[in-house]
Amino acid sequence: MTKGQCIRMLRSHFLILTSLVTVAACSSVPENQRSDMRDRYEDSNRAVFDFNMGVDTYVVEPVASGYRKAVPEGGQTAIAHHLAWAGLPSTAINSSLQGKYENAGLAVLSFAINGLTLGFVNLMGDDAAPIHKEDFGQTLAAAEIDEGSYLMVPFLGPHTTRSLTGRVVDMVMNPYSIVEAGAPLQTWQTARIPTAAVSFRAANFEAFNDVKYNALDPYARTRSVYYQQRNGLLGDKLRGDGASSADDEFEEFFGDDG
Amino acid sequence: MTRRFFSRIFVIFVMLFTLPILAPASAYADNQIERAETHVNNMMLDLQGFLDAGSDNVEKRKEAVTYLLDSYFDLPLIARFSAGAYWRKATPIERQTYSDIMREVMIGTVVRNFDQLSGLEYSPVKSTTKGAKLVLVGGTFTDQAKTREPVAINWRVTTPADGDARVMDVEIENISMLVTQKNENIAIIRKNQGNFSALIDAMRSKIDQ
Repeated sequence: MTKGQCIRMLRSHFLILTSLVTVAACSSVPENQRSDMRDRYEDSNRAVFDFNMGVDTYVVEPVASGYRKAVPEGGQTAIAHHLAWAGLPSTAINSSLQGKYENAGLAVLSFAINGLTLGFVNLMGDDAAPIHKEDFGQTLAAAEIDEGSYLMVPFLGPHTTRSLTGRVVDMVMNPYSIVEAGAPLQTWQTARIPTAAVSFRAANFEAFNDVKYNALDPYARTRSVYYQQRNGLLGDKLRGDGASSADDEFEEFFGDDG
Repeated sequence: MTRRFFSRIFVIFVMLFTLPILAPASAYADNQIERAETHVNNMMLDLQGFLDAGSDNVEKRKEAVTYLLDSYFDLPLIARFSAGAYWRKATPIERQTYSDIMREVMIGTVVRNFDQLSGLEYSPVKSTTKGAKLVLVGGTFTDQAKTREPVAINWRVTTPADGDARVMDVEIENISMLVTQKNENIAIIRKNQGNFSALIDAMRSKIDQ
């Protein structure tokens, strides 16, 4: 890797480096003062959450609202497809590392075929076998690495120590980080994270606003949704296919109830 | 010859004794699933009826949602689950107040999001029993205009032997609405030194807003 590539990669990973420094500066909250045992840095996390909500209110939400109005639904779908396509190399590598060779093969095939349109059009069709997203955080989970503490990361939102570590590795695996190309690609590489944030925010506009404006404690609700969504992705590694993380809570409830 | 004869007799006896035990258990599970699926299908038919009526009047929507929640959901069980371990610590008055406010919050949430349900078509997928009291009824919501991706949904339906089937939880793309509510409620109580009434106050002030 050339010096230029190193500098470019460090620049594109500035957010994560900032986050890691922030996390290092956090102080642990005593167990009896936490609203969730997994949230060791709750006080700092809540402060970062308030900051992120401020960024959302003044930047992301208005931009996402404008994006929904200005970009036709077909265009929004194409951008979402492209962003998902850019994540396929990571899915292929992580599926292989977890021994899921069929999923890895499908990811490679989809990356190659949809690459003809840079992923903007899904040439595989709606009936193609679904590709399950696999990231390095999931690979670490499969290797039974502890998930660590809950972290609210500036600009990037909720993570665990494990999923944030995985995210750094996945960004390195992203084709944009590896390919040596001209200025347009570099510009797109820089714009990719904010674009992904706006695309995600626009796709989940009402649900996100419902949490932000109507939840009793938006921070606690976000944390719960994050853990459930993440556990859903890790479901096959933790519990076997078809089981949901919520099942344990209901089993416990009916056990106590019985 | 004798050994084979005795082993056959043994197998027949084992079958005679185990089949009556296994068969009713399996029949009970099938019956559980059938009751839960019928319950969800009836609820979806009622919901579709309200959506087809397409009223923009908030009061009418509220009336429809109240009917659906009261008729198809197990509200007392939802209240108990969503308070977690703090339910046991709450006084009877706190429990009743909390249950009433919880119902109001649920109605408000569904009324607010009612528009998002229009244009969606529900199709059942697969149901599985989760113990003797619960069935997970799986389904998919598909956008008829195909502008949104299909959404996987699971209904957790209680099937008590001595009562009607009732929906306890809705799980959308692996995210349980009831577990989310419970986690949020517990966070508020813990942040207020285990004070259950702090949750009631927070819910009240949210409704007042």
